[in-house]
Amino acid sequence: MDRRSFLAGSAAAVAASGFANAQGADEIRIGAPLPLTGPLAPEGRKQKRGYDLWAAEVMKRGGIEVGDKKRPVRIIYSDYQSATPRGVQACEFLANQEKVHFLFSPFGSGAAKAGSAIAERYKIPMLAATASSREVYDQGFKYLFGTFTPNETLTDPIADLVVATAPAVKKVAIFSRNDLLPLSLATALREGVKRHKLDLVFDEKFAIGALDFAAPLTQMRAAAADWIFVGGYINDLIQVRTQMRELGLKPQVLTMIAGPAYEEYIQALKGAAENVSSASWWHPAVRYEGEDIFGSTQNYVEAFKAAFNGDIPDYAEASASAVGAILQLALKKSGTTDGPAVRDALAAMNAKTFWGPVHFGPTGQIDSLNPPVFQIQNGKTVVLLPDEIKQGEFKLGIS
Amino acid sequence: MNSAILAQVLVNGLLLGGLYAAIAAGFSLVWGVLNVVNMLHGSAVVLGAYAAFFGWQLGINPFLAALAIGPAIGLLGWVVQRFIVQRVIAAPVLITLVLTFALDLVLNNAMLAAFTADYRKMGSVTGLPPLMIGTVSIPADRLIAAVLGIVATFLVHLYLTRSRLGRAIVAVRMDQETARLMGVKVEHIYALTFGIGLALAGVAGCLIGAVFPISPLNSGGYLGVAFVACVLGGLGSVVGAIVGGLVLGVVESLGSMLIGAEYGVTVAAVLLILMLLWRPQGLLGRAGYD
Repeated sequence: MDRRSFLAGSAAAVAASGFANAQGADEIRIGAPLPLTGPLAPEGRKQKRGYDLWAAEVMKRGGIEVGDKKRPVRIIYSDYQSATPRGVQACEFLANQEKVHFLFSPFGSGAAKAGSAIAERYKIPMLAATASSREVYDQGFKYLFGTFTPNETLTDPIADLVVATAPAVKKVAIFSRNDLLPLSLATALREGVKRHKLDLVFDEKFAIGALDFAAPLTQMRAAAADWIFVGGYINDLIQVRTQMRELGLKPQVLTMIAGPAYEEYIQALKGAAENVSSASWWHPAVRYEGEDIFGSTQNYVEAFKAAFNGDIPDYAEASASAVGAILQLALKKSGTTDGPAVRDALAAMNAKTFWGPVHFGPTGQIDSLNPPVFQIQNGKTVVLLPDEIKQGEFKLGIS
Repeated sequence: MNSAILAQVLVNGLLLGGLYAAIAAGFSLVWGVLNVVNMLHGSAVVLGAYAAFFGWQLGINPFLAALAIGPAIGLLGWVVQRFIVQRVIAAPVLITLVLTFALDLVLNNAMLAAFTADYRKMGSVTGLPPLMIGTVSIPADRLIAAVLGIVATFLVHLYLTRSRLGRAIVAVRMDQETARLMGVKVEHIYALTFGIGLALAGVAGCLIGAVFPISPLNSGGYLGVAFVACVLGGLGSVVGAIVGGLVLGVVESLGSMLIGAEYGVTVAAVLLILMLLWRPQGLLGRAGYD
C-alpha cells in the first residue's frame, strides 16, 4: 500500500467512524437483560421476539418520533442465564457501561423487582413486560412501570368460574414454585378459596430447580384434591404435569399459571395438556383499537405472524411488544429522551393500545386491563372469560 | 399417613435412590481409592445425559446407549487422570480438589457454550403406562432407570471383587505401598479407577436423562447427591453407594412428605451432618480412611 492510498484509507476510516458516532449519538438505546439461556430461556426468548418485532416496526417507519425528528432505536440485550443475581448485574452493566436511555426489565416478578432498584438509582425509566406481583411495585419506586395487572386479576375469575361451573369441586391443592410470581399467585388464590368457602387440603412450595415432584404429588393424590393449582414457569409445569400422569393423579380441575398460554407447553405435553385451565394478561382473541404503532390487536397478530413464520403471539410476546409501543408513545408525548420527563409521561399515560387500555396506577402497575381465562381444548387455547371474547365452555376432568 | 401413601412414598424414594446410587458409586470409588474428591463428577453425569439425549434424537434408546456412552466417558476419565490428575496425585487432597474443580469449570462451561443452559427433555422412552400395584403407581421409565442404575453399580462391585484388576483396585485402596510391593502398577490402577468412576457417571447420566430434564446447571445438584450418598454409604464402598443412594432417596422422599416439598435438599444436608457426627465412616465404609 503506498502512502497516498494509506492516507485516503485513513481519511475514509475516520469519516466512517465519525458517521457511526453521529448515528450512535442519535440512536435511542434500550437495555434488555433477559434469561436467554437456562431454565427460563423459553420465556426469555419470547420477550426477545416481542421486543425485536417492535424495534423492527419502528425502524421500518424511520425511527421513534422524539420532538421534531425521528430517531433510530437499538435494543442492547444481556443474557443473565436465568440467574437473578446476574440479572441485576446485567441491569447495572447496561445502565453504567452501555449508558442506555431506558431499560426493559428482566423476566418475571422476582428478577424485575431486583433489577428495578438499578433503574431507580440511575433515574432510568424501566418498563416491566412480565412482572405482575404487587411486591414488585410496592417499593415506592418512581421509575418502574409494568403491563401486568396484579395476580388476583388472574386467580379471582378462575375461582369464580370453577365454583360456578363445578359445584362438586370442594377440595383445593395449591403447589407453587418458591419464587415471587408463583407465591404471589398462591396468596391470591388462597383468598379466593377462603371467599368461596372451599377446603384447602394441600398448600406447599417446591424449590427452584426441583426436578422430582413425586412426593408432593403423592400427597395431593392422598388428599383427593378436586382442583389442583400449580404456579411456576413452563419447565416446572411441564415436569409437574408429566409426573402427575405417571402417578395417575386426575383432579377434576387442573389450573397452571404461567405456562399453558405458550404453544411450547401444548407441544411438549400433547394430550396431557388437554383441559388444563389457565389465565393470562392478554390473548390474541382480544380486540382492541390503539393509537400505538401497531394500531390494533388484529394488526399486531398479523405483524407477528408475518415476522415469525405464522406463529401466533402469546401474552409474553405481546407484552414485550407493548412495552416498546408504550415507551414510544411516552417519548412522543414528552419530546425528549430525558429520563425524568419520560417517566412523567408514562405516569400520566391514558392511552389505547393493541395490548388494551393503558393507565398506570400510583405504584406504576397497570390498572386498566381485564385478563382472559382460557383452557386448552383439542390442542388449542380456548377463551372462557371475559364473556365478550368467549370461545367455548369450561370442561372438567384431565387425562 | 396411611399405609397406601407410605407405600407410594417409599416406592418414589427407592426409584429416586436407584439413580442416586448410580451417581454416587463412581464418586465414592474415586474418593476411596485415589483420595481425590472428584468435583468433575456432576458434570460427567450431565455429559452422559446429553450424549443419551442426542442419541435419543437419532432414535437410539438411552438405556442401550449407556453401554457405549459409559465406556466413552470412562475413557475420557482415564485420559484426564493419566495426563492431568496424576501430576498432583501425591499432593494434599485440597490440591486435587481444586484441580478437579477447575476441570469441572472447564467442562461445565464448555457444555453451557455448546448446548446452552436450556432444559432438554426426552419424551417417554418406553411409552409404557405406569405399573399399578394396588394404589401404588410405578412409572415404567423410572423403574427401568432405577433398576439399571443399581445393576450397573452392582456390576462394578462384582468387577472389584471377582476380577484380578478389581482386586488390585481394592488392594490399592487398602494399602497403596503394600500393593506396589506386590507388583501392582499403582498409577495404572489410579487411571483405571478414575475411568470406571466417570464411566459410572456417564451411565448414570443416560439413566437420569431418560427421566429428568437435562441442563449443565444440574451438575451441582448431582455432585451434592454423590457427596451425601457417598458419606452415607461409606467412602470407597460400591455397595455402600447403593445403600447410601437408596437411603438418601427414601429420606428425601419422606422428608419432602413430612416437612415440605421445598426442604428436600435441606433434609439431605441435615442427614449428611448427622451421619458425619454419628458414623463418619458411613453405613458400610471403613473408619478413619484418609
